[in-house]
Amino acid sequence: MGRYWRTLRRFWGTAVAVQLEYQANVLIELLAVAMSLSGSLFLLSLFYGPDQTLGGWSWAQALMVQGLYTVFDGMATTWLRPNLGAIVTHVREGTLDFVLLKPIDSQFWLSLRTLSPAGLPEIGLGLGLLAWGSHQAGVVFTLSSFFTVLVMLLAGGLILYSLWFLIAATSIWFVKTWNATEVLRALLASGRYPLNAYPPALRLLFTLVLPVAFLTTVPAQVLLGEAAAPMLSAGLALAVLFFAAARAFWLFALRFYTSASS
Amino acid sequence: MRIFGLNRRIIRVLLGSQYAHMLEYRAEIALWALSGVLPFIMLSVWSGSDARSGLGLDGVALDRYFLSAFLVRQFSVVWVVYAFEEDALLGRLSPYLLQPLHPLWRYVAAHLGEQLTRLPFAALIAAVFFAVRPQAFWLPSLGGFLLAWLATWLAFAIAFLFQSLIAALCFWSEKASALERLQFIPFLFLSGLLAPLTAFPPVLRVLAQWTPFPYLIDFPARILAGQPVDLLAGFGAQLAWIALLLPLVLLLWRAGVRRYSAMGA
Amino acid sequence: MIQVEGLSKIYRVAEKQPGLAGTLRHFIRRRTRDVTAVQDVSFRIEPGEMVGFLGANGAGKTTTLKMLCGLIHPSAGEVQVAGHRPQRRQAEFLRRITLVMGQKQQLLWDLPPMDSLRVNAAVYGIPDAVARRRIKELADLLELGEELTRPVRKLSLGQRMKAELLAALLHEPEVLFLDEPTLGLDVNAQARVRQFLAEYNRRTGATVLLTSHYMADITALCPRVLLIHQGRLFHDGPLEALADQLAPEREVRLELESPVSADDLAGLGRLEQLEGCDVRLLVPRDQLTAVVAQLLDRFPVRDLDVTDPPIEELIGGLFRQGRV
Repeated sequence: MGRYWRTLRRFWGTAVAVQLEYQANVLIELLAVAMSLSGSLFLLSLFYGPDQTLGGWSWAQALMVQGLYTVFDGMATTWLRPNLGAIVTHVREGTLDFVLLKPIDSQFWLSLRTLSPAGLPEIGLGLGLLAWGSHQAGVVFTLSSFFTVLVMLLAGGLILYSLWFLIAATSIWFVKTWNATEVLRALLASGRYPLNAYPPALRLLFTLVLPVAFLTTVPAQVLLGEAAAPMLSAGLALAVLFFAAARAFWLFALRFYTSASS
Repeated sequence: MRIFGLNRRIIRVLLGSQYAHMLEYRAEIALWALSGVLPFIMLSVWSGSDARSGLGLDGVALDRYFLSAFLVRQFSVVWVVYAFEEDALLGRLSPYLLQPLHPLWRYVAAHLGEQLTRLPFAALIAAVFFAVRPQAFWLPSLGGFLLAWLATWLAFAIAFLFQSLIAALCFWSEKASALERLQFIPFLFLSGLLAPLTAFPPVLRVLAQWTPFPYLIDFPARILAGQPVDLLAGFGAQLAWIALLLPLVLLLWRAGVRRYSAMGA
Repeated sequence: MIQVEGLSKIYRVAEKQPGLAGTLRHFIRRRTRDVTAVQDVSFRIEPGEMVGFLGANGAGKTTTLKMLCGLIHPSAGEVQVAGHRPQRRQAEFLRRITLVMGQKQQLLWDLPPMDSLRVNAAVYGIPDAVARRRIKELADLLELGEELTRPVRKLSLGQRMKAELLAALLHEPEVLFLDEPTLGLDVNAQARVRQFLAEYNRRTGATVLLTSHYMADITALCPRVLLIHQGRLFHDGPLEALADQLAPEREVRLELESPVSADDLAGLGRLEQLEGCDVRLLVPRDQLTAVVAQLLDRFPVRDLDVTDPPIEELIGGLFRQGRV
């Protein structure tokens, strides 16, 4: 375990070093985040006039959802895209072999190899938006609600990671599958809005098949006191389930890789 | 006759080979087509929202608008800057520059080949949409369809030229493709892909009309959906943007190629 | 150290005709075909041996190498490397081997090699003090200095390869698999890599299995050669023995007092070159004495020289003709 921890510190140390090689990126990233967030807020505002709600959610409540979405988007930029996107490159250039020959778990290596600080401002802004929206919506912060949000964010992050990793792992067969992650991203964009804004059939889809609901809507509901402990544990169970599926699929993919690749 | 090194035979060979090449990537392209579902997600939010009444698109008109926006987007997606960047990185660019054919034609052919490959997938998605919402089904008039087609092609031309401009900047800076990311954000919000322009506050709507973005999605999509549009103003704006961008692209490319060969990279 | 018994690998590959029609046909119905990449290969390599692995492109070299590392599962046969079955890729096994691929790199492109080395030290669980000492030793041996603190993208190909070797050897593996380690390097850099490998083998007693397109690598480093052709082991032994097997002819060079015509030389072996007084003939080994006697008898010979054709040409010829 100590070896994994030490490796992780080295991984992220080098990642930050790489970023420092390209300072301009940080600036561009900041600009992109600012533009993107103001665009999203503008779009959201189009749904709200005087006395209007979106699926029964007030403006402040919808801001909470938007804030959570922004956090997860930042998570994708910081963690998922740089790491899981590199899997395709590894497969295409044959450098996956180097990873497989290291005496360390290959999923650990591929999932945590790097970190892009460029997404951190987005996470910060998202948390800020969440806090502001909660405040406006009259949420009273307690230690337990703070703890709940943290757990929900972790569970959501794990679900997001597992989905993303599942798709990235298919590159063992199809090599160029980063388009599939684009499909995932497009579908995840539905998490920008409260679940109730969608027609019933889509609500079902976003809860059971592609659990976007557990990323943004459910945590917001828990904070608002509209959903209770069972929802929280459902989210956690789902996270564990998805992670187990991702792990099993990776082991299966490796078996295929080692028996069929050339 | 040759225009920018192009003649009939070259067009045929180029299109044929690029189509065959793109067919090799059909799985990828199917996924690309699928990743364009954003308009449908937005449609479902708009349909159930209180703000819908302000759109001026009642009944099935909203369904048709977003389906049209999806289709227009499918056939005006441009990725020349990424292809160019990869070619430059892998050293494929130098041989292209030696050929008596403007390298941009190669990318144009690749895009057309890709659109042809994409056609069945886009049609399939549209068919699924109609199966879910049969009441939205419509067939545009032949004239309307041809006009929409023309408008989509012009939209493609604007997007292509715009991105070629960014690609040309790659001759100077490695970071040029980041500009593409930055311009994509206003495109997303101002083109009409996520919300019809009629949803915008009047001031912003006027402002948006001075950017090229509404002519990339909103204008062609409205023609296709059978909405009343000012054809003259729309096509006029599209042609004006092309007239502005084309000489810029050609000049910048020539300067870029000169710089590239001078550096001997 | 390495034991291979009846090793085979069969791939299933998709078949596609070129052109649009072929693409469309392939789109509708995928046809596959089994390709035997490696067939019934057996050999043993003792600890400390340096063995050259020869074969044309696609002969099955890389597939065999990958099976020895555990990257590919064999279709049939048994492999044992350092007492482990490679395909299980246990951590203890991976710590004892290394793979260097000349055309692929594990070092991070944007960072100095030192950063990648520190990552590797953590991954292999090497204490920092030990890692520092080893890096110093290997860097001295490889003549690497401040290159280790410059971004990889700014290094020359030769420097990069040396840094790759350092990264691959940091954990002191006992078995080295080297796939084209000198590919694309200039002659000087090739020689330095070669010297380093010989020195490393001498100091640590590591077992080395090496493929290369450059025969000089093989002749300089490997007393023993495995030649794989169309998936089968064709030769296992010293390089010279391979030459005898491959080249049933020897080359006779003549310098004559006066010019001769091609007709004059008829029946005296295969004429390779005839330029005035200079003649090159290829003569079967068993007829050599008789032919030389005749030559001396019939022509005014100023100088006569008998040589083996260069091994590179022999093997190159073998691969070109696809015989065996």
